[in-house]
Amino acid sequence: MKRGSISVAGVGKEFGTTTVLNEVDLAIEGGSFVTLLGPSGCGKTTLLRLIAGFLEPSRGAIAIDGAAMQGVPPRRRPIGMVFQNLALFPHLDVFENVAYGLKVRGTPAADIAGPVSRFLGLVGLAGFERRRIGQLSGGQKQRVALARSLVLEPAILLLDEPLSALDLQLRRQLQVELKSIQRQLATTFVFVTHDQEEATLLSDTIVVMDGGRVQQVGTPGEIYRRPASPFVARFVGDINMLPGRIVSLDATSAEIEIGGSRLRLPLTAVIGKERAGASCEIACRPEAIAVQPSSTGSFSFAARVAALHRLGPMLKVTFDTVHGPLTGLMMANAPAAELAENQPVELSIAPQSLTVFANP
Amino acid sequence: MRTSATPRSLGWLLLPALLVLALFLGSVVLLFLNAFWTKDGVSLVYFRQIVERPDYHEVFLRTVSISVVVALASAVLAYPIAWLLWRLPRWRNLLLVVVLVPWLVSLVVRTYGWLVILGPKGFLNEALRWLGAIQSPLPLIFNDLGVVIGLTHVLMPFSVIATLSVLLQIDTRLEEASESLGASGLATWRRVVLPLSLPGVFTGIGITFLTSMGAIVTPILLGGIRQKMAGTQIYQEVVYNFNMNKASAWALCLLLLSGLGLMLLRALESALVPKADR
Ligand SMILES: Nc1ncnc2c1ncn2[C@@H]1O[C@H](COP(=O)(O)OP(=O)(O)O)[C@@H](O)[C@H]1O
Ligand SMILES: [Mg+2]
Repeated sequence: MKRGSISVAGVGKEFGTTTVLNEVDLAIEGGSFVTLLGPSGCGKTTLLRLIAGFLEPSRGAIAIDGAAMQGVPPRRRPIGMVFQNLALFPHLDVFENVAYGLKVRGTPAADIAGPVSRFLGLVGLAGFERRRIGQLSGGQKQRVALARSLVLEPAILLLDEPLSALDLQLRRQLQVELKSIQRQLATTFVFVTHDQEEATLLSDTIVVMDGGRVQQVGTPGEIYRRPASPFVARFVGDINMLPGRIVSLDATSAEIEIGGSRLRLPLTAVIGKERAGASCEIACRPEAIAVQPSSTGSFSFAARVAALHRLGPMLKVTFDTVHGPLTGLMMANAPAAELAENQPVELSIAPQSLTVFANP
Repeated sequence: MRTSATPRSLGWLLLPALLVLALFLGSVVLLFLNAFWTKDGVSLVYFRQIVERPDYHEVFLRTVSISVVVALASAVLAYPIAWLLWRLPRWRNLLLVVVLVPWLVSLVVRTYGWLVILGPKGFLNEALRWLGAIQSPLPLIFNDLGVVIGLTHVLMPFSVIATLSVLLQIDTRLEEASESLGASGLATWRRVVLPLSLPGVFTGIGITFLTSMGAIVTPILLGGIRQKMAGTQIYQEVVYNFNMNKASAWALCLLLLSGLGLMLLRALESALVPKADR
């Protein structure tokens, strides 16, 4: 197994009487890029600080590469951390910030300059050694914080919303660089964000969290295509939710009714305690909606174009339908190019793109 | 809520400040006039005295050395206290009151307290004698040592507050960052907390140095009869000798020395303290 694996088993955390984390179980593979994704206040920072050792869990255990971490202080864990506000040392220059960890470890002075300039080069800051922290831009500070942790070659790097303070363009650029640095070093990155696009772009594995619980763990593709709960479906990417009913069930499939139409879906597409007669929500991604007469086996119905928005090469269309308003996303070339507001159209949805959530 | 009063109609609020300023400027002008303009016309006689008389040199030398010692002692004693106050937020208010007690107690009581502790038959001397450490009492009071102890006691809270106010501005995440980079608590203190808190230490040194340069009452009560400080000399010229000209000349020299001391301190600070960008 690659170094830098993390196991979080049954971890709970309380502050006084408030429960912030509940029964968190996670197995993070060494060398992977893992993102903790969830809305503000769901416990992402708390989980990160538990892994780093700044907090001790109220219940459960954390192990790194098989070694139990209980009672191990942060400085003895094979972990680097990039803080949300970066926490660069304001009285030291760029070189001294990056050299800090090596110095406190008693690395001989002659062996410090080499790694420092190698890692400053890696983050694109060669030549900035003698700059003061106050003279750096937001993106440059970000790079210093990264180099400061990475120079110690930790098995694991924890990053708490490191890019959230940057403007969009810089953010995109740093995302790409972050990913390529992670690939080069094969360090385990545990990255926190509340931005699902960022999570999708960067991660090998996404851990979706809400209300102090892990909602789903999976690759960005799995989480997008097969969300485990209505919360995940709504949080990751755009989604349409249609109300419906489970009509009947057999060993492999379920019959679902949506606004008068009946559809037969594989049982694997039905999530939750399925039982016949239960009401349900049917999740449908915008790109699964097509403007064309039905092909065999697809679910089709009449609609009217309510609004059109062009997003670069894509077209975002709002339809009025018998199931309520629906949002579709399609390439802006034919046949969508001919769409006009108020135009009546025939929509179809491939059943395999639907996920059904049985209401409890 | 914002009031709609115009700046013009609020101008009278400045009146007290202007009055204070006028009094201050007036007294500075008077000081200069008195120092140079004696009843025999413009004269430098008192300045010449200060330059020429060895006993006056000694007074100024004592004033400066006592002030330096008091400032350094306050800084050294105040730092751990400020650090504790910073570290124990729950206890901060209570401990702050304890630190400020010397300011809440009247001068007479405070001086009497030191007498009871440091006097020839005081607690400390009796205890040392009982332990057999000394034969005759140590001269701990009514000399320069007494003055240093008394001034340090009353001025140290300034150093505590100056240091604490800077410590409180330090982002606690910096300590966590240091720890995550492998530093022990002591290394974090030495490499991060101490350099970032030095500006507060220097501010405290400045305040305590300036205040003890002008000390009058403590040297009178706890010092030796013949071991004057500049403040006591000035007091004596004003109250007993009614010589305002001499007192003013002394005050100007004291002001000059204090200013020089402060400039030296600033130079030392900019040489020692790395500039932190906030
Ligand atoms: N030291 C603490 N004491 C009490 N409550 C805390 C503390 N730290 C975090 N919390 C609470 O825990 C919850 C989760 O916080 P956090 O982990 O910072 O969330 P996130 O990083 O996902 O935004 C929040 O409701 C927050 O108010
Ligand atoms: Mg957070």
